[in-house]
Amino acid sequence: MSETFAFDETDRKIVEQLRQNGRATNQQIAESLNLIASTVSTRIRRMEDAGMLRVVAVSDFAVHGYHVLIHLAVQVSGRSALDVAEELAVFPEVFAAHLVTGSYEISLLLTLHDIDELPSLITDRLSKVPGIRSMIPAIGLDIVRYGLDTAPIDRRRLA
Amino acid sequence: MRRPDLDELDHQLIAILAQDARVSNRKIAADLGVNEGTVRGRIKRLQQEKLIAFTALTGLKLEKATNVAFIAVQADVSHVRHIARDIAHIPLVKAVMITLGPCNIMATCLYDDLDNLHRMASGQILAMEGVNHVETSLAVRTVKFSNRVVRITDAQTVSSL
Repeated sequence: MSETFAFDETDRKIVEQLRQNGRATNQQIAESLNLIASTVSTRIRRMEDAGMLRVVAVSDFAVHGYHVLIHLAVQVSGRSALDVAEELAVFPEVFAAHLVTGSYEISLLLTLHDIDELPSLITDRLSKVPGIRSMIPAIGLDIVRYGLDTAPIDRRRLA
Repeated sequence: MRRPDLDELDHQLIAILAQDARVSNRKIAADLGVNEGTVRGRIKRLQQEKLIAFTALTGLKLEKATNVAFIAVQADVSHVRHIARDIAHIPLVKAVMITLGPCNIMATCLYDDLDNLHRMASGQILAMEGVNHVETSLAVRTVKFSNRVVRITDAQTVSSL
């Protein structure tokens, strides 16, 4: 990844168009921004090559059969929180893991196919990871907003 | 949550588009051995049913606010939906989930400096009627996260709701 890459105003406008519709043709983007299509295609390729842009389809949790979301606040003791988080991150049910400051050390988001999976996941599997002092779950009832498209591109990912 | 009816071709299409959304219908059709009209129709249906959305993922360098914080909110249960919507309208709040647990709303937000985060958590959210308690946790490191699997909500291109 280029450390010196800088977006200019034209790049930002192209990205904004792509955010609205990632499958807009170069010609459509060019027309709405008063550019020529080859400029649009060159700019997109330049941003992609620099590792600063990916235009993708994102899919809903439902596509993957995830019908239950649970937030799990994990308190750690006697072990490095990073070590615990990295071990927890290996579980396929762990969709997101962050180290945080506050009353607990690790914030986990779990994605399950069915709520029936929760008891054995918590008591038989996650709890076997050394260093966990407590786990406080919050069951997701409704997602009002979800728009985390600006996270770093090259994180370890599921899909 | 919804249980969509998807066949093998839908899943193949989604996998291709998840890698690069700018590949043409013609190329997808050739790769999958189906005709272009089928590809066009399938993509249209997946979009209409809010199962996929096309967007641009950028490195955080493009954004001014690059730090992540989680805000847990205890709100009056009778007002929780209303309060969750108000929190979702704050521009830097990127995700809001209503939960059953120690708190009843979990919000994920981006912030540039601590002063602004404090203003958002204690100035805006705590000041809302029916909000009893706010607890902010700063994410100091992302160990695992996927921005390819999301909740596609109403009236949303993923970035701009």
